Amino acid sequence: MRHSWSVTFLLAGLLGTSGALAHHSAVAEYDLDKPMSISGTIKRVEWQNPHIWYYLDVKEKDGSLSEWGVSGGAPGQLMRRGITKDVLKIGATVSVEGFLARDGSKNMTGRRVTFADGRDVFTAGPEQQR
Amino acid sequence: MTMRVQMIVALAALVLLVASATLERAAAQAASEIPRTAAGKPDFNGIYEWPRALPGADTCRCSATIFDRKNFAPLLGNSAEPFLEPRTGDARHDEPRAFCMPAGFPSGMLSANAMQFSQTGNYLIVLHEFQGMKRIIPLDGRPHRKGIEPSYYGDSVGHWEGDTLVVVTKNLKRWSLDDYYYTDPKEYRMHSDALTVTERISFKSPTKLRYVMTLDDPKIFKQPWSQEFEITARPEWSELGLLEYVCEENNRCPGGVCKAN
Repeated sequence: MRHSWSVTFLLAGLLGTSGALAHHSAVAEYDLDKPMSISGTIKRVEWQNPHIWYYLDVKEKDGSLSEWGVSGGAPGQLMRRGITKDVLKIGATVSVEGFLARDGSKNMTGRRVTFADGRDVFTAGPEQQR
Repeated sequence: MTMRVQMIVALAALVLLVASATLERAAAQAASEIPRTAAGKPDFNGIYEWPRALPGADTCRCSATIFDRKNFAPLLGNSAEPFLEPRTGDARHDEPRAFCMPAGFPSGMLSANAMQFSQTGNYLIVLHEFQGMKRIIPLDGRPHRKGIEPSYYGDSVGHWEGDTLVVVTKNLKRWSLDDYYYTDPKEYRMHSDALTVTERISFKSPTKLRYVMTLDDPKIFKQPWSQEFEITARPEWSELGLLEYVCEENNRCPGGVCKAN
């Protein structure tokens, strides 16, 4: 699904090497040698320290829906790149690239968020990495 | 000496004289352009990025700045407080910050978050957004406090050496040195409780600070060693200012048991 979009928007700074791994148990929680990606609909957002979390409804291969949790950077880090809570709108479809939780649960730390509509509102962020 | 040689020597001396005068003028101009307080001291008030390593230094598999191993002094052979702390598999030991224990100093200073310097005649107050870190540094010539327990951020006092603010921090707990373990979990770098950190802060330009840390840890290294960083002023961050950072708000490792959800 992600590859079918005509315009993609990659937001590495929102979550990835400069955010989610900023501190706080990334080594314990996530396997940084196991990259993965998921696509789904944003269900809820926790815009809190030390890392934001947001949750996606993801359609599994068998057609069922599962909830996945994705962690990101600290709110202050993101806001100074021009990224606010409003960006992660409930109901929006996104694709997220990152690393799977070590415990095998449906959680990941996100590196890149790709939005379906090709918006580029985040690209001016000084920390952004594409 | 022939006339020709005499002329060459005189010309070389003239070139050196002009170059020296030019450098002096440039230095004087740079010194006059930096912000200064009413008392004439460099004025560091403002919001800044965290200290960044200079080009070519080691980088982390994380956003924080880390120390460059090329700067390390030789290690002592068999310290009772080793530089690399063996991992145990217990997050309470291996990653205490994962359940919101303090980053400590100098590690917290290098965290990739905004920081603010508030400078008065007698104090420099460093406020770092990460974990709400605050350092209240007297500049009035008082000695280090006595009779207090070692702490995560230690005891700091500062003084001026010309246009350079020198801050000396002692009385630190043994704690993680930096975030390098995100790059290699087997290398959990520690400092000992004997560490003294000397920071030297000065203006490189009106918007850039030279920030040099010298680490003297006689329980771990054979001699002191230093690393230079750069700190960039971010006046455009002043409107947002520093935000609250309560790690416990969404702590995923309460009691040292990490859960992603």
